[in-house]
Amino acid sequence: MSVRYRPFQALALAALAALVTACAVFAPLYDRAMQQALTDITVERADPDSVALQVSTGSDSLFSNAKPENLVALVSPAMRDSYLDPVLGYRATAEVLPGQPNDPLGDLVWRDGECDHVAFVRGDCPAAPGDIAVSTADADNFGLRVGRRLTIRPASGDVGSRLRVTGIYEGAQGDDYWLGLALTGRSGLADPGLLSQVQHDVWLTDRSTFEGSRVPVMPEQAATVGLPLDATALGVDDLMSLASGIEELAAAGTAPTAPFTVEVHSGLPDIAADVRDQTDQSRVTVPLLMAQLGLLALVVLWLTLLAVTEQRRPEVALARLRGRGRRGARSLLAGELLPVALGGVLPGVTIALVGTALARTVALPGHAPFESGLRLLVAVGIAVAALVLLTVLAITRVAREPVETLLRRVPPRRGSWMLGTGDALVVAGAGSLVVVFATGGLDGPVALAAPGLIAVVVGLVLAHLTTPLAAVTGRGMLRRGKVRAAVSLLDAARSPATRRVVAIVTLASALAVFSADAFVIGQRNRAAASEQQAGARLVADVEAGHLAAVRDALAEVDPDGRDATPVVRIRPPGVGSVETVAVVPDDFRRIALFPGGAPPAGTWRLLDVPDVDPLEITGTQLALTVAGSSLAATRADGQPGPLSLGVDLVTAAGETLHTTLGSLDRPVDRERLVVPTYCRDGCFVSAIWLHTLPGASITGSATLRDLRGDAPASIGPADQWTPVDDDAQGRMAPGSTKPRQLSVAVQTDGASEIRMPQVWLPVRAPALLTGGLPPAASGRQFDLSALDGTVQRAEEVQALDRVPGTGPRAALVNLDLVERGVALATSARIEIWFAEDDPGLLAKVTSALEERGASISTTSTLTETRRTFDDSAAAWSIQLAAVVGAAAVLLALLVLLVGAASSWRSRTRDLAALRMSGVPRRDIGSMAVASQLPAVVVGVIAGTATGVYGAHLALPTVPLFAGEPAVSTLDLSTAWPAVALAVVASTAVLGGGSALIGRVLARRAAVRRLREGDL
Amino acid sequence: MTGLRVSTRRLVHIYRSEGHEVAALSGVDLDVAAGELVGLLGPSGAGKSTLLSLLAGVFRASAGKVHVGDLELSAATPRELDRMRAQDVSLMLQGAGRNLLPYGTPHDNVRFAQRAARRAGKDLPGPGDVLEQLGLGADAHRPLDELTPGHLQLAALAVAMASRPGLLLADEPTSQLDHAARDRVLSAIAETCRELGTTVVIVTHDPDVAAFLPRTITIRDGRVGGEGRSGEEYAVVTPDGFLPLPGHVRDELAPGTLVRFHTTGEGAGYLLVPEDGPDE
Repeated sequence: MSVRYRPFQALALAALAALVTACAVFAPLYDRAMQQALTDITVERADPDSVALQVSTGSDSLFSNAKPENLVALVSPAMRDSYLDPVLGYRATAEVLPGQPNDPLGDLVWRDGECDHVAFVRGDCPAAPGDIAVSTADADNFGLRVGRRLTIRPASGDVGSRLRVTGIYEGAQGDDYWLGLALTGRSGLADPGLLSQVQHDVWLTDRSTFEGSRVPVMPEQAATVGLPLDATALGVDDLMSLASGIEELAAAGTAPTAPFTVEVHSGLPDIAADVRDQTDQSRVTVPLLMAQLGLLALVVLWLTLLAVTEQRRPEVALARLRGRGRRGARSLLAGELLPVALGGVLPGVTIALVGTALARTVALPGHAPFESGLRLLVAVGIAVAALVLLTVLAITRVAREPVETLLRRVPPRRGSWMLGTGDALVVAGAGSLVVVFATGGLDGPVALAAPGLIAVVVGLVLAHLTTPLAAVTGRGMLRRGKVRAAVSLLDAARSPATRRVVAIVTLASALAVFSADAFVIGQRNRAAASEQQAGARLVADVEAGHLAAVRDALAEVDPDGRDATPVVRIRPPGVGSVETVAVVPDDFRRIALFPGGAPPAGTWRLLDVPDVDPLEITGTQLALTVAGSSLAATRADGQPGPLSLGVDLVTAAGETLHTTLGSLDRPVDRERLVVPTYCRDGCFVSAIWLHTLPGASITGSATLRDLRGDAPASIGPADQWTPVDDDAQGRMAPGSTKPRQLSVAVQTDGASEIRMPQVWLPVRAPALLTGGLPPAASGRQFDLSALDGTVQRAEEVQALDRVPGTGPRAALVNLDLVERGVALATSARIEIWFAEDDPGLLAKVTSALEERGASISTTSTLTETRRTFDDSAAAWSIQLAAVVGAAAVLLALLVLLVGAASSWRSRTRDLAALRMSGVPRRDIGSMAVASQLPAVVVGVIAGTATGVYGAHLALPTVPLFAGEPAVSTLDLSTAWPAVALAVVASTAVLGGGSALIGRVLARRAAVRRLREGDL
Repeated sequence: MTGLRVSTRRLVHIYRSEGHEVAALSGVDLDVAAGELVGLLGPSGAGKSTLLSLLAGVFRASAGKVHVGDLELSAATPRELDRMRAQDVSLMLQGAGRNLLPYGTPHDNVRFAQRAARRAGKDLPGPGDVLEQLGLGADAHRPLDELTPGHLQLAALAVAMASRPGLLLADEPTSQLDHAARDRVLSAIAETCRELGTTVVIVTHDPDVAAFLPRTITIRDGRVGGEGRSGEEYAVVTPDGFLPLPGHVRDELAPGTLVRFHTTGEGAGYLLVPEDGPDE
């Protein structure tokens, strides 16, 4: 009956209880669903052969006669439930005798049902001992026709086993039945082992080959069984128990007491370890968020219960006056409040279940099953215990008050400026934890509650300051004649709800701001990390060696370089080596994804190529006149040595032709040197060189002129050549002001060759460097890997924080510069980076490449990379922040509603009294709104500040990624737009709610309320 | 249940207000016989309601004794006080609504008030009978906010009498009522007192109510200031020999006035003779 009397209050209290229950139940269910989703996608994305369980007899059990069925028996029935039907099999090595390098060697396999998984082009499935089926490649390479007989090496003895080809098959690609066994692809290739014997593909045979007596035991013969995983039914518990079962099986299989040794292969233990690691991460974030929401929910519930029980003081007084004692008073309140509080449990559980179902189907990937069970029961039990405990505590607090206190209309309060003992203890305890945490003395789970604790301290202190301040201000305004504002402030100061509202709104806003901040920071960091890892929205790998084709194709498809750009990368072996990343700076700057923004244009100008023309010749022969040559080579023993003059020519394909023009063993007055070349399509003269014996020295000078291929070319003036002056090579100085001639003066001491490059070729490539200079650097100069795999001298022109798509150490150089005069090494990777993930453009580029004999091998997209970051327990955990923020604001709104529902009679009477005094209705409305709105505003402002500070303290402890990215893009700076959104949302919901409540109260403030007396 | 005898001896009650100690009652001696109907009169703040609360065991006396029946309240344990409130003493608070659970009907409220007494084994009439006796049978199951003020007060009286107490303490039971309702409530109280033998102590400001009551005790400045019986006003000599002057006499005798008592003839009376002041 009492519920009917205060229906809104009962509804609000039940809603609060529902929210508390929903929080308590949702957290573990969501955590569990995350684990299931993680298991699902990890298993789903793994190859079927890596998650399958493959068991075989060990190499030292060759003659154990163990059958595949014996292996199946080793797998416990509980484990078997998680796998599909086992595929029995045998395996051995079949080496055709006499075993010469051209006699093929490879696997001989029987698998139950094998012939259903290959296509026979000739002959039939092997059915008798010694019958085999070979691949079409083997049939071609080794002339294995149907009916052909072979002798293979036995495991022991000299008498070979006889096999007969009964069928020729074509292997099916991507058939999961074979669990990773590649049937074909090895035929005719040399065994990489010591003997370099030629290999055959897998030969299929009948079971009887391994079990009958007709064929002796073969080398490495083993029984096998493959158990494909039944991934559809695999849950996280199954995964963990399977992983430990597999480890036990492996351990038991190698135990000395085992009748035969067993080898176990499965990737599941590694997957389980990964899932376990990620689950451990979620154990940081989920409690971080839920503990604070739980804290808020409990504080809100407690304060609400205080308000609700306080309102019932007259009823408690009556119970005591009618002789029912404290116990009777407790039962009176418990009889009313406990059913209401517990009435929220079922809706709360329903909300949590619906929320989890939504999370499973919308927010989380995979097919996490619906789970309730013990986890749900425990969570509900905890929620019920918390509800009952808090309700009973609040009831007891009122029921034990003396009757004389209960009979007073307003409970006695302490002085306005003083903190109560309980509040003081909470402020002191939480405050000292916050101080310890802020000074770096605390981490781990306790640290996770920092934002909540700060908000509790700030909220309580502020709450205690607000009412006396409001009273002082209100009185001041009253003296100045501002009656309306003064009455509102004095009303706020008088109302016990004001403190409650300030404290709760502070805590709720702090949590909303913290959650929004954490949510967006998590997203931003995942986005940044995936951009850094992906490099561009779409990256296509081109088969090596086709840079010219790539550039040509891109020039055709995207002449402006706005949508696609080539990137060539080469990385010398070794940990911590600097990767060379050659790019077209202007295009790369536009297309590559730089988390936090690309470096400014000025930085890219540093990579500009010098504005010089190459020296180009075309034709099938090259001619050069040497005049006035005093060049001579002198051997170490003082005798004249051989001396040859040559040039380096770079073909259109990027190949360098080291071309000798002629011998200059003697001084020459004038000699025309003519040599054939392969420059029909044009070559660049990249260097002039002189060559002699090692240890010899070259001295002298000469004039070179009239260089020509099909047409004359300008070998001069001197400024298109880079003088050489170093200790290793010696000195070679160009001279001349005329375009058609060049004089060179040379002095070397022991170097066999001195090479003077043309200025168009880079001597020292400017590089934007990330990860710092290598240890061997001299000043800012260092060596990096040239695109041809040799050494390229480089100079750091500016340091970058990171280079997209690369590791921690990379040098960004200008592709137009470093590609000059080099042929790409096979280890160099050519990629095309696209500005957008545009399949149409990709198709165009692919087709343009194919026209030029190149092809794309693989592609990767930002979306895929982002998915790997998003599909992790770390990401899912932080998604909870959205729920937590919304729930926090909702909780605070409930506090406002409960407050209104508990005090509406007295507040409407007060407002009615004001109407009686002649205050206009409109003014009453604004006064009703203004009496609580300032408390909400103060709470939101304080909550925002504490939420931002709390995030600053707590977020460094939150795992944002499943595994730390190789290149950190971590940015934990405050996400101000998210904070602003949270503030706007909190203000709209709480401020709007408060204003609405004020309006409703004002509307109900009819004068007849004054006549209602005590009812 | 017959009425309970009530007596107080040198009853003192002090409370703290804004840091100061205030004596609400300073030595009240009072005797009410079992089954007697007594009114407590006096100006606001005189201590009437305080005295009523002390008799109900709501306040603890700062000094002195309070006897209700055989129980001395200043030494009673909380359990004894609970038992007393359950069965023997009923306090009707000022304002009918304060005596009623707002969400219950009169019937619910009477049943609620009887629970403790029933648990203690007391034989009580059913809630319907209790309400019927007070003429509220038709209203027994109506929500409280549908009752007239008079019926609301009768409901409060029904609740107070629900456990058939030996002592009914009623604080301003007729305030805020029109005359008809007031008379009806008063007659109900008087009838209850007569039929059940209940001792009734009523606090009132209303002279009409006071005139209705066979005995009234006036509390003034925390003391018994006089007593009225059957329309006659008496001053009451306290155990320590003080004699408060009746109101109209006090107005004539300024503070500091010296008076002499003269015996009139054979001890039939006393003559109070004021002396002339030094200035006169």
